[in-house]
Amino acid sequence: MARFHPLTVTDVRKTIRDAVVVSLQPADGGDFDFTQGQYLTFRREFDGTELRRSYSICAARSDGLLQVGIKKVDGGAFSTWANEDLQPGDTLEAMEPMGSFFTPLDPTQARNYLGFAGGSGITPVLSILKTTLRAEPRSTFTLVYANRGVNTIMFREELEDLKNEYMGRLTVIHVLESDAQDIDLFTGRVDAEKCAALFRHWIDITTIDTAFICGPEPMMLGIAAALREHGLDDAQIKFELFASAQPGRLKRKATATGDTGSAKTTEASVTLDGSARSFTMDKDQTVLDAALENAIDAPYACKAGVCSTCRCKVLEGEVEMVANHALEDYEVQRGYVLSCQSFPVTDRVVVDFDQ
Amino acid sequence: MAEDMSIESYLSQGGKLSNPTNVPPRYRAELMKMMATFVDSELAGAAGFADVINAGPGIKERIAAAKIVLEKTDNADAVLRLLGEFGADTARYATSHPWTSRLPRDSEIGSRRSEHDMRLSVLNYPLDGWVDAVTMNLCMGLAVGQQLGELQQVSYQPLADAIRRVAPIETRHVELAEEGLARLVEQGQSDAIKASVAYWRPRVEPMFGDVPQERFEQLRNWGLRHRSNGELGASWNAQLDKSLDRLDLTA
Repeated sequence: MARFHPLTVTDVRKTIRDAVVVSLQPADGGDFDFTQGQYLTFRREFDGTELRRSYSICAARSDGLLQVGIKKVDGGAFSTWANEDLQPGDTLEAMEPMGSFFTPLDPTQARNYLGFAGGSGITPVLSILKTTLRAEPRSTFTLVYANRGVNTIMFREELEDLKNEYMGRLTVIHVLESDAQDIDLFTGRVDAEKCAALFRHWIDITTIDTAFICGPEPMMLGIAAALREHGLDDAQIKFELFASAQPGRLKRKATATGDTGSAKTTEASVTLDGSARSFTMDKDQTVLDAALENAIDAPYACKAGVCSTCRCKVLEGEVEMVANHALEDYEVQRGYVLSCQSFPVTDRVVVDFDQ
Repeated sequence: MAEDMSIESYLSQGGKLSNPTNVPPRYRAELMKMMATFVDSELAGAAGFADVINAGPGIKERIAAAKIVLEKTDNADAVLRLLGEFGADTARYATSHPWTSRLPRDSEIGSRRSEHDMRLSVLNYPLDGWVDAVTMNLCMGLAVGQQLGELQQVSYQPLADAIRRVAPIETRHVELAEEGLARLVEQGQSDAIKASVAYWRPRVEPMFGDVPQERFEQLRNWGLRHRSNGELGASWNAQLDKSLDRLDLTA
């Protein structure tokens, strides 16, 4: 099961006006040995609501450093907090690195990689680019980096330094939406048409082994279409959709229908392995989560309503099961529910995991 | 760059998702169901085959059976790990179901799943000795191949990637089945094989049962499905016929 571990913030550095690079150090356990292109999922409570946010690691594997880039999103509670209030010495909670936005590296190979990044989509691509150039001394990397203007380019100086360090192996093409550049091709949006033009004049697409794309949805679609059109297959195109357009994982709002009990909480009684426990729970919490929170070792596996491991029987009161892909109709009629999908409706609910 | 586009619209245009955090709830449920089905089927398939290793008539056959058990378990692990990224308790998951349990051979199961796990319904039928096991492996392996073709195209990229790694291994299992059957044919077991095919074919077929059109369209819009079950079933039947033809078992 995914667990959160504390990480100590060792450094917070501004890279552009509204983005910070946060350095972290594991404080108590967890395997934070990451692969290039992976991300960390953080959690934090804002006004009593837990928010989870994922940010890509921007450090190279061999940097010996855990670093994420966090760009401030309008109205984004977590990113605003990270940009304005986060200080060295603070503690953040994160799950171990996850994600599969990478391909295995092999120092004996001479491969040609192509990366596309839009805005803060640069973070995982930067990690991939640095790790790859260091680990595969004969490989090349071409980065097409889309930004609104010069002053929104994250890691601009670092990329310049890398170009010097890996002269002849790293090519960076900045495409700016609103700032005019010497070459017309490098102005505008990176879409299928722009890619086709780049492939005609600047990038020999026939030599590319793997392409990485990280950016907003329309950009990814356009680039992927152009890559497929130019002969790359799905296995050669790696995507990472970053979280800009993501709605927060907010708690489920209690639906107010005529039949619901008046209270916001429910008196719950849960029977497991022969013993019954009672507690007060919120109506916007699932029966399973409330049981787990009250130290009841309730069974579950998928938590998505698909595996029925969390099945229990409602003996008293009523719950609303918001998804069910596992229970047959006759089981539901007998009062069985998936506890991971069930929210209390009445002010008192009695469930039994033993039946 | 921040042009707004809904995840649904992105997916319907062929967009890929890359991690659990940007997966909408309903999509998540359907995706997890697909992953759980794969994991449970591999685990149940491996468990069923583990029981017949010792029924193998020779050392080669036993090696093949043991290899299949190992690799199917390995393949389950590859996808179970992805389920873990969605919060599933993978350790508990792998041991929470009695994977070796089967129903009586003459049960009427159809396409219903068992109460406890997501294994494909056909995997609730027991194997009946070596010939039956190898025959089932061919029928089922070809059917799984059709489904893996679908899964390689799913819009959840980590799953598509995992399946791309797994697919050649599963293809090899089908080849082992056909090679095994060829040896059994040489040993004069053709009639027993034909009887097994007659048993398994209609029991594998429900895998390609009808999905309500509305639901299929929803799954297709999400990039979770591409070809209809009808197409997949027809393709499976044709492959199985070809294979039986090569083995001289059609007459």
